[in-house]
Amino acid sequence: MISAGKLEKSRSSAAARLGRHQARMGYLFVLPTMLLFLIFMVIPVGMALYLSFTNYDVLSKNDWIGLSNYGRLLQDSLYWQTFVNVGFYAIVFVPLNLLISLLLAVLLNRAARGVKVLRTFYYLPTLTSAVAAATVWLWLLHPEYGMVNGILSAFGIVGPAWTSQTETAMIAIIMMTLWQSVGSNMIIYLAGLQGIPDYLYESARLDGASRFDCLRYITWPQLRPTTFLVSTMAIIGALQLFDQAFVLTQGGPANATKTPVYLIYQQGFNQLQMGYASAQAFVLAMAILVFSLISMRLNKSEEPIL
Amino acid sequence: MKKAFKAIAAAMLLIGLLAGCGSGGSGAESGAGAGGKTKLTLWGDWGGDGQEQIQTMVKAFNASQDKIEVKYVLQQDVITKFLTAATNGGTPDIVFWDRWRTALYAPKNVLQPVDEYIERDGLNRADFYEEALKELTYQDKLYGLPLTVDTRALFYNKKMLKDAGMEPPKTWDDLEKVAKALTKWDGNKLNVAGMSLGDPGLFSMYIRQAGGSVMTEEGKVNVNTEAGKRVLDLWGRMMNEDKVYKVGFEEGLGEGADAFVTGKVAMLYTGPWMLSTYDKYGKDLEYGIMPPVAGPAGDTGGSMGGFGLVIPKGSKNPDAAWEFVKWWTANKDNALLWAKTSQNIPGFRPAVEDPYFSEDERWKPFLEALEYAKVRPTHPGYSVMEENALIPNLELFLQNKQSAEDTLQKAQTDGDRLLQENAVVQ
Repeated sequence: MISAGKLEKSRSSAAARLGRHQARMGYLFVLPTMLLFLIFMVIPVGMALYLSFTNYDVLSKNDWIGLSNYGRLLQDSLYWQTFVNVGFYAIVFVPLNLLISLLLAVLLNRAARGVKVLRTFYYLPTLTSAVAAATVWLWLLHPEYGMVNGILSAFGIVGPAWTSQTETAMIAIIMMTLWQSVGSNMIIYLAGLQGIPDYLYESARLDGASRFDCLRYITWPQLRPTTFLVSTMAIIGALQLFDQAFVLTQGGPANATKTPVYLIYQQGFNQLQMGYASAQAFVLAMAILVFSLISMRLNKSEEPIL
Repeated sequence: MKKAFKAIAAAMLLIGLLAGCGSGGSGAESGAGAGGKTKLTLWGDWGGDGQEQIQTMVKAFNASQDKIEVKYVLQQDVITKFLTAATNGGTPDIVFWDRWRTALYAPKNVLQPVDEYIERDGLNRADFYEEALKELTYQDKLYGLPLTVDTRALFYNKKMLKDAGMEPPKTWDDLEKVAKALTKWDGNKLNVAGMSLGDPGLFSMYIRQAGGSVMTEEGKVNVNTEAGKRVLDLWGRMMNEDKVYKVGFEEGLGEGADAFVTGKVAMLYTGPWMLSTYDKYGKDLEYGIMPPVAGPAGDTGGSMGGFGLVIPKGSKNPDAAWEFVKWWTANKDNALLWAKTSQNIPGFRPAVEDPYFSEDERWKPFLEALEYAKVRPTHPGYSVMEENALIPNLELFLQNKQSAEDTLQKAQTDGDRLLQENAVVQ
């Protein structure tokens, strides 16, 4: 006869053995990912941080210069202007992006004829390359012969020179990026919508809720994690804006569409000031972190996704 | 064309980033190959027609002797590729080089000075455009030889000038008068712009015509001057009083719908690189070319750019590479073959004196402008100063959002700061 205590003991030691075994296997399975993460994320980020304290120019110099890159950064009014530029972009772009993609998703979240075709159409711009899209948008936005100003003139409005005027250049970029990105966010929202159980709507309808009430009190709160994902990605995308601005306006007019990444590229690759560019990139990364945290707070996501 | 080129460059850049800078196979494989020939690699970023033009020269060189064999490798983003190659080996032996980059790269000690070769082979420096050599020089050392020289001239629509009873302009006053006469508005809609004012980068040319310069010899910004003021006065008048142009008028028109080809712009400054486009799409377009007009005190001013050939420090066969550079850039027949193949003005004067150029009406205005044209100041921070400080302020002025005084003053202060930050660190 084995005493109860002994049984307990051997059971627990077996469990511990099993636990250890599982832990070993677990670590083994995450090892490849962790290694990749280490090699391609942690080490390069660490190196970039180190470079931001040097005058590294790829070819001839790599000396420690302390904080002087960051000191120069504080004086660099153009760099801070690019943050104002992408800040404006984000304030207009992120809410519009959420609103339009949610509306599209709600509209197309039904089993009607032709819905799949429409979903495909709305998604297509996402698949277009930024350069090709920008070429077409330049045509659409041409002050004299573009379609946009053509439509405006039918209403008696003289349209602006969209990409060449300081007031409208960023708006032109917002229009183009919205057109390009609502499709993919619509897909994410569609996935979110499919995950909302039908009984919530059924019981709400029984209690006399209107369609708008359903949207306001069921759909929107249930989509909170999705909204968090979409808005965070949009904010990060806004801070990292580069290719559309590069192709559509080349950062002009009057620096109105220059972005932090644009300057980082210019300093790093055109001017070979990799040390300074690394400092700029680090400040940008910190800004992205801060804004992601703010977005997380605002969404008060109960199930954090990150 | 320039816009399109930028767009293509951006496309290439993005593709390059996405592809993760792969392609180890195209690296340089120099050294003595089979048959005892020295194998050289030439890197350049000219694709399409340009690639074929370069291939023509490479083939001709390979056929001309039996010791050296050159291979052209197209690198979409040649400068980034050169950076990586310069740090971890595998540099090519010759690079098809946008000359203005010399000021940035020569101080980094990655280019081979060619002065000794020039002395040894008895080349005459006066055979090359002096300004082009200057652009390839850093601290009294020459880092390559010029392959092409280009400059801008005034293109005008002959028919429009005739209809308006005007002569091609020769001075600023003429330019303003003719531009005003050729401009056609329909209410708020601009139908014909008398003169293109779409490229504020031309400021450096205008300010020379006004008797000034963008930078001093000592490497300071020099725009807040009488000459700078004169340029802005002219631009301001043409833009706001004569209304010969509208901001953004030429944006986004493709090659086929080019504003000059379709008669939307009556006059503009551009270079020989547009000749083929105008000939291809402008079947009904009759145009003339004039050297840049003279300023109020009769000063002339033009801008020069172009390509050269340089030998990177990492080349294992600099002597053989030099033979190729010399064959292409410093030989009349070869320079002329290149000029005819690529429709470029060669940097080698004896080739330019050939009747092919000197007796062709279309080339004459360019050759004339090249005699006084100046290259960009050879300061490693010049391009970033122009792009981030000078042009943005000029754009604000052209859009009537900043006074001439503020524009010049801000361009000067911001510009000086950028020059200083991007100067050579010793």
